[in-house]
Amino acid sequence: MTGIEILQIWIAAFFTLAIFSFLYRDNAVYKFAEHIFAGLSAGYYVGLIWKSVIIQQLWEPMTRADNPKWYLFIPGIIGALMFARLIPRISWVSRLALAFVMGNTAGVFIISQLHGLILPQMQDTMLPLLNGGFAGSLLAFITVIGVISTLVYFYFSKEHTGALGVTARVGVWFIMISFGAHFGYTVMGRVSLLIGRVYFLYNDWIGSLSHIF
Amino acid sequence: MRTTVPVIIAFLSGIVMIVSFFFNPDRTILGQIESEVLVWVTIVGGFTLLLGVVSITRVNFRSVRLQKEGWFFNLLTLISIFVMAIPSILPVSWSPLFGDREGSIYDWLFTNVDSIMMQTMFGLLAFYIASAAYRAFRARNAEATILLLTAVLVMLWRVPMGEAFLRLFSDDLPQWINSYVMNGANMSVQRGIIIGAALGAASMSLRILLGIERTYMGKG
Amino acid sequence: MNFWDKISSLDRRWIYLLVAIAVILPLIFPADFPVRITPEATQLYEAIEALPDSSVVLLTFDYYPSSTAETEPMSFAALHQLFRKDCRVFTMTTIPLGGPSIAERVTRTVAQEYGKQYGIDFVNLGYKANYVAVLKGMGTSIEAIYPTDNSGTPLAQLPMMQNIRNYKDVSFIFAVADNAIVEYWISIVNAQYGTPIGAGVTAVSAPKYYSFVSSGQMTGLLGGMKGAAEYEQLVSKPAIAMKGMGIQSLIHLLIIGLVLVGNIGYFFGKKKGTRGISV
Repeated sequence: MTGIEILQIWIAAFFTLAIFSFLYRDNAVYKFAEHIFAGLSAGYYVGLIWKSVIIQQLWEPMTRADNPKWYLFIPGIIGALMFARLIPRISWVSRLALAFVMGNTAGVFIISQLHGLILPQMQDTMLPLLNGGFAGSLLAFITVIGVISTLVYFYFSKEHTGALGVTARVGVWFIMISFGAHFGYTVMGRVSLLIGRVYFLYNDWIGSLSHIF
Repeated sequence: MRTTVPVIIAFLSGIVMIVSFFFNPDRTILGQIESEVLVWVTIVGGFTLLLGVVSITRVNFRSVRLQKEGWFFNLLTLISIFVMAIPSILPVSWSPLFGDREGSIYDWLFTNVDSIMMQTMFGLLAFYIASAAYRAFRARNAEATILLLTAVLVMLWRVPMGEAFLRLFSDDLPQWINSYVMNGANMSVQRGIIIGAALGAASMSLRILLGIERTYMGKG
Repeated sequence: MNFWDKISSLDRRWIYLLVAIAVILPLIFPADFPVRITPEATQLYEAIEALPDSSVVLLTFDYYPSSTAETEPMSFAALHQLFRKDCRVFTMTTIPLGGPSIAERVTRTVAQEYGKQYGIDFVNLGYKANYVAVLKGMGTSIEAIYPTDNSGTPLAQLPMMQNIRNYKDVSFIFAVADNAIVEYWISIVNAQYGTPIGAGVTAVSAPKYYSFVSSGQMTGLLGGMKGAAEYEQLVSKPAIAMKGMGIQSLIHLLIIGLVLVGNIGYFFGKKKGTRGISV
């Protein structure tokens, strides 16, 4: 392990412990690390967009010798209109760029949500009812009840009374099972992130001590 | 002018996507238009990220200029932005420390400082979830008890020691959890949520295309 | 204040200390635990094993550095399987913060182990903004969205990419993600172009995707560190995720214990009028 590598590990360990210090209480060391984190993250975007958009998607295609796409200055200008948001007097101009992106995303979404989510999911809910054998049909039946009662629970246009209320009540039980499962998974997710950092501190940082002493 | 033009742009930009879906994009001029529009959208999308950076820089700069409480930390954020950003846009031909490749200032700061802190921030959540489980996870009523029992079953099922414990009761219990809890009740609820959310997203998209939904434009 | 009242009002920092001890102990005294493989992980593994050698596979790095402890082991395990099968792999990311850096580091590390050459056996496309447009646009032309790879080399100059025009030339998409992007891979790419998709996702988002596995819109699923450990075992490359399962076991048992103690305290405290403490 070289001196530079050890220095890197110690810097990373300092910032790890600085963030962990928040567990005790908010403090200046944590704030120091937090603000550097915010700044570096913002700075990262600059480097990324400079390279992946300004250079690779705009400058190079516009200026290359073979089949230059000079017309790409148009999306470049549309994109620049976004900055009008910073000047109150002309901030409405940024709507042109925003509308272009929003409209496009909406166009993709109408198709993808209907064709890619709603129809296939409904199809898979209903088809196994008849095609799954006894065990499969039983599971499919539970699924149908779960899907319908969940949808009813989230339907707020009519008061949950009578048959609607009973169905919504069944929906709550299903939702509780799903949220319980979610919680079980979430514990694993959060612990995994902690393991990563503690693993670093134990193996790399404490391990580096043997190279120093 | 201030709202009509954006509504027309949104409609045209979206309708291309819908119409081209029904034609073979490889063989029609519509496909080429669709492809070009999508490239333009990715370019414009990049500028929105830059707008965010400019905005955070302005906010911090103002705090430093007015010497608001804690301005030193705002100064630190500003310095961090510039230390990360400026070397990344300078040509590598000037110095191997510039650009974004391995060995550059940009890559070094990201790997050893920024990424480390981001991981640690999220690592904190393990402590909070343990504390929350202890303080708030109560079997107060039937629904909360169902939630609690499912959570405990799934937590046991997901780890080797817990799974071994479950097998003490029945060898089929882990498989039962996978089939009836995850692929049964959980799956049906998630499906209900997916269908509901997709219906909402599709109708909201239609409202945007038709100009009924204009809140994304903001005021003015 | 009786014993259970004191237990109920325990300072949160004692709980933090218990969690810290539960993480550190298994590191000092490591123990191997067998990981049982779920049908969803086996399905993903077998789908890739069934691909003809030299197939083109798109591996996505749709995750932030914050979740690398869960997702990065999946990327490593996936690359071991793909390079062992001599698949041609190209990577991309829809994550602006760190995605391209992680993709470069992980692919180059595994490629070195298998002697794979950049541009011939694997390519990193990097990041482009607005993921909905990126995913949709690649259906017509990958080169239109990514005129160059991550380091700026035009795609036309990379031998591997010359015959890969759009999703029709891709045999499988292996998405590793920590957010809702997998849903877009399914609803835009799988639904409209038919390319099979398997995914490794964070534990937090995994329960949602069972619905897509059931409907056949997804070919296999890895959920969180357990999913990563399963895949490490399947590709016979045990690494950090498998090591982490010992720690996971202890912390899960600790949290179950905390829930039990908290509830006992709640019921005993309830008789004396205290109803536990809200967070």
